[in-house]
Amino acid sequence: MRGLRGRLRILAGILIATGVGTAIAFPDAARTAAILPVLALFSISRMVAAYLLSLVFAISYGHTAATNKRAATVLLPIMDILQSIPILGFFPFVIAFFVQGPLGDLLGSEIAAVFLIFTSMAWNMAFGVYESITTLPADLDQAARSFGLVGWLRFRLLAFPAMVPKLVYNSILSWTNGWFFLVASEIITTPSKNIVRPGLGSFIFLAGNRGDLGGIAVGIACLATVVLLLDIFLWRPMSVWSERFRIETTAAGERASLHVPSPYERLRWLPRFSRLRREVARRVQPLLDGYARSSAKLDRVYSSHRRVIRAVRRADIGLFLAIFVIVVATGLVGVVGFFLRPLPSGAKDLPVAAAFSFLRLLLAYLSALAWTIPVAAWLGRSKWAARFVTPAFEISASIPATALQPLIIGFAVAITMGGYFAGEIGAYLVSLFAMQWYLLFNLIAGVRSIPGDLDEAARAFGLRGRTYWRRLLLPALVPSLATGSITAWGAGWNALIVAEYLQFGRSVYSVTGLGASLFQATVVTGDYAMGYLTVLAMTVVVLTLNKLLWRPIYKRAAVKYRMDV
Amino acid sequence: MMGDAHPLLQVKDVSKSYFDNGKEFKILDLIRFELTERDFVCLVGPSGCGKSTLLRIIVGLDAPTSGQVLFEGHPIRADNPQVAMVFQSFALFPWLTVAQNVELGLEALHEDPAKRRAVAKKFIDAVGLTGFENAYPRELSGGMKQRVGIARALAIEPLLLCMDEPFSSLDALTAQNLRDEILQLWSNPDLPPEAVLMVTHSIEEAVYLADRVIVLSSRPGRMVAELEIDLPRPRNRKDPEFYGWVDEIYSLIV
Repeated sequence: MRGLRGRLRILAGILIATGVGTAIAFPDAARTAAILPVLALFSISRMVAAYLLSLVFAISYGHTAATNKRAATVLLPIMDILQSIPILGFFPFVIAFFVQGPLGDLLGSEIAAVFLIFTSMAWNMAFGVYESITTLPADLDQAARSFGLVGWLRFRLLAFPAMVPKLVYNSILSWTNGWFFLVASEIITTPSKNIVRPGLGSFIFLAGNRGDLGGIAVGIACLATVVLLLDIFLWRPMSVWSERFRIETTAAGERASLHVPSPYERLRWLPRFSRLRREVARRVQPLLDGYARSSAKLDRVYSSHRRVIRAVRRADIGLFLAIFVIVVATGLVGVVGFFLRPLPSGAKDLPVAAAFSFLRLLLAYLSALAWTIPVAAWLGRSKWAARFVTPAFEISASIPATALQPLIIGFAVAITMGGYFAGEIGAYLVSLFAMQWYLLFNLIAGVRSIPGDLDEAARAFGLRGRTYWRRLLLPALVPSLATGSITAWGAGWNALIVAEYLQFGRSVYSVTGLGASLFQATVVTGDYAMGYLTVLAMTVVVLTLNKLLWRPIYKRAAVKYRMDV
Repeated sequence: MMGDAHPLLQVKDVSKSYFDNGKEFKILDLIRFELTERDFVCLVGPSGCGKSTLLRIIVGLDAPTSGQVLFEGHPIRADNPQVAMVFQSFALFPWLTVAQNVELGLEALHEDPAKRRAVAKKFIDAVGLTGFENAYPRELSGGMKQRVGIARALAIEPLLLCMDEPFSSLDALTAQNLRDEILQLWSNPDLPPEAVLMVTHSIEEAVYLADRVIVLSSRPGRMVAELEIDLPRPRNRKDPEFYGWVDEIYSLIV
């Protein structure tokens, strides 16, 4: 470990020296680079705010949906729909609501951004919470009941710990989603004005508008660094930690592992600051004691006033339902109003636009499949590849497709010399980058989950080459392919909204599609009726595909190709 | 003590049915027996006879379709601290240490932390897990996990200990050791419980442990017989009399 730390110091030294050298050689670039950490801080604060909101929301929403049957009849379909529709399409309306309201540009646009990121983060986490509570083993639930754990005590000792693994897993997904939307939300264009919020996303976008390739690269590198640092120092340790909360399904007395790993075990080479940590621990201790005392008090209050608490919860759900009914009712009135008036002139183009968008995504999806299946088959089975190649893919995947957008369109313009196809290629590539990682990582997990004995059996019977793929690998990959495809298409539709209308330098590259119509309607012409109609069309297409295509496939896959026999 | 007026536990004509598409599936039919202090009763029956369901109804985790369960003369409630439960699958909370698992019931009773720790220590020692207070369940073997399950049940000092096939997911040797330890705990007047009610599918285990064996038939579960096992303790499995009991119960089930 010493040697590693020493090498690390040398590396840091080299980096600092290069940094200083570059700063002296290119003073302008250095000035830009100096504000990057500040911009990163702005972006991260938006993410953190949205994440904390999502966390509280997901826990209460998922928990209520799982424990209250009557509420679930409403909460579950809402969760299902909002999880799958392309929420980025609703952003222009959210902005219109917040920015044109009494809040003003500054506060309004910040709230709109946080709200957008929140909606991209909350639903899968809520679903994770719901799943963890509904799949809680019956015996744990019975043990809790027979030992009298109710109310807050039950939540603290049973429900919350049980949701930790899925909550952490989904938090990681949510952050990936969040970065995608963060980048899209820092530049807000309305027909009357452009609002630019300071952040890494707007930095990259503005560099793209200037056609400044260096700026784009620096911005993307900085964003990727932030994402990776968070991954190394927050999410990986969190997911190691969350293993402690995993419920073993085997009742038999096999020891899973004797050792419960510490979250920061893989980062042991970092300086420990033991005196500082002891000092902090000493200061924090009164807080922890206070927490223990107040939670004991809460337990007592909870158990002695059950009726009051039940009334509060009922009122809470009642209020939610009331708001929901109002929202649905106004929505319906709005939709009816639409169809009573003559349709906007652009409406007849929407089916064609939808078909083009769908074909574009289909092409991106098929090309993603074409390369991810063989690569996943290789990465999933080779130890060497897992160690050296997978991290490279993880780094590439950490950059949200929205941030790559200026780079991609720049590339497309360069290879087509600015022809019409620059827009087509740009839109295709942005969708591809938004979709492919979900497929790749799900498939790798699928390959890894093939039980060793099945693989050995296949080899023992001499299955090789095509037969091996046809009889073992491909069938075994079906469930993870289904999961990956659903997520990939969800991400693809969102990406399309920003992908079909790309700007590079002073030129605009627009193609036929729903994303482009939406941009045209809400930003260029300001025809909000047309905008609504476009989003409506997109939502209908996405929900229909989900109900008629993906769900049936997923259900069949889940039954037929499951491995837990 | 008011317990004198009533038997500890009364199971009164308990029946249980499930309904599926309007069709009734009867699981338990008119089960009736009583338990007094110092009783060690085993419920034996073939798999699918509803014995685990019966135990869950007895501790109040499930409601009977008809009939009633009285504990000290009052209808049973799941959170009654006089009754504790040991599970076949151990049902330990994987995120809590051994000591925290054992303290679970005490926490629900709002005991203060110092007392909780002391009581947990006493029962962890009693089941022979001294030194493992801070281990997590996943670090323990099956036998040790079930010891934690037993310590957790005893820590609330119950009058009645209910066990649902507590040894059937353990290997034979570990199971036998734990059986002897349960007998020891039960016969120790300083330690709980007063009475034990255990569900098992192993006839031999029932004859080895119980004063009284209640035999259930399968689908729906009906009481076939209630037998007093009057063999002296410690019992010897090689004893022809022991085998006489096992054979008799076996013939009742088949």
